[in-house]
Amino acid sequence: MRPDDRKYTKSHEWVKIDGDTALIGITDFAVAELCNGNEGDLVYCDLPDTGRQLDAGETFGEIESVKAVSDLNTPLPGEVVEINPDIEDHLEILSEDPWNKGWMVRLKHSAANAEGLMTAAEYEAFTAEEAH
Amino acid sequence: MALDEALLVHGPGDRPTLRLYTWAPDTLSLGYFQRLADVPPAERWFRERFPGEGGNGGAKNGGAKNGGAPAGPTPGAVVRRLTGGGAIHHQRELTFSITASLDHPLYRGTTARSYQRVHAAIAVALAAAGVTATPRGDRELASERAATGMCFHKSASVDLVWDGRKGVGSAQRRKDGRVLHHGSIKLGTTPLEGEIATLAPGAATPESLGAELRAALVASPDGPDALIDLAPDVLEDAVRAHAERRAPFFGSAAFLARR
Repeated sequence: MRPDDRKYTKSHEWVKIDGDTALIGITDFAVAELCNGNEGDLVYCDLPDTGRQLDAGETFGEIESVKAVSDLNTPLPGEVVEINPDIEDHLEILSEDPWNKGWMVRLKHSAANAEGLMTAAEYEAFTAEEAH
Repeated sequence: MALDEALLVHGPGDRPTLRLYTWAPDTLSLGYFQRLADVPPAERWFRERFPGEGGNGGAKNGGAKNGGAPAGPTPGAVVRRLTGGGAIHHQRELTFSITASLDHPLYRGTTARSYQRVHAAIAVALAAAGVTATPRGDRELASERAATGMCFHKSASVDLVWDGRKGVGSAQRRKDGRVLHHGSIKLGTTPLEGEIATLAPGAATPESLGAELRAALVASPDGPDALIDLAPDVLEDAVRAHAERRAPFFGSAAFLARR
């Protein structure tokens, strides 16, 4: 079971509200999809500059694995106030701990909820369907 | 590349598109995240085309700006793809781009499965040209080379190989529930790619191989019932407008030298 202290998107990001900021990362399902079980398959991750204003659903970064480049989308609107400085040089932390050490950006959010976000249980059902 | 992006963003939701092309002049395409400086021929060709332009990486491996005589083939064009992976010298090959919804049976599920389905269709097309292409799996290939930045010198388990060498380069871009899938199928060797898997002389032309690929995609178990072949007169207005608007960006020094 995935952590139930956060919400999930259909494009496999998670968002965890922490007061007036929110941490955003990608799920274990996304990581498995990108690296096909081999963490060395993750090649590059491009994250935004702090201060950037994002709308809900907007692309905030891009991640490359050996066989695909994928967008990273923010579930919530807000301003990027911090990025995880360890990600670019240590992509393996996305495989090792996508829920904590693998956070990507911290947003000062301007709305704490958004349409289409799923609970952990709903995301479980969604990924079970996706895996077919 | 602008048209491929337009098809990724504005392509029809219900049917995949298939675009088949060759290149004139010879072109070196960089993967989306590659550093110009990590593909020395690309950096030389870029400086021929944009003299005086910077580039973010500098010439780590010795480019023309270091004073040495440029080695290798006559410089052609350089582009940067939306898809990832390594650089490709587009010469003596059939290039394809497919765009589709990630809900389509051809691309549904894991990325690896989508490669298996598309590569199975490519293998059928290649069989008509007399080769038996299979996924690399765990094999070591004679086409591998270290640190050239070239796509055909590195491989993944899903890549199609024959004669112990990589013969098809393939990469995807996924965005907003859709996918752009680029592929290069080599008919012959190129100066920058060396000992790769190729077809026997006269075994196929880009046109004949393209026709076989189209037929194989339509006939594959998860293939599209209908496939949109692209020609300028069938482009939707939104696709055409997007491509025209973005073409200057894809041809700019800033995008080529973004890394």
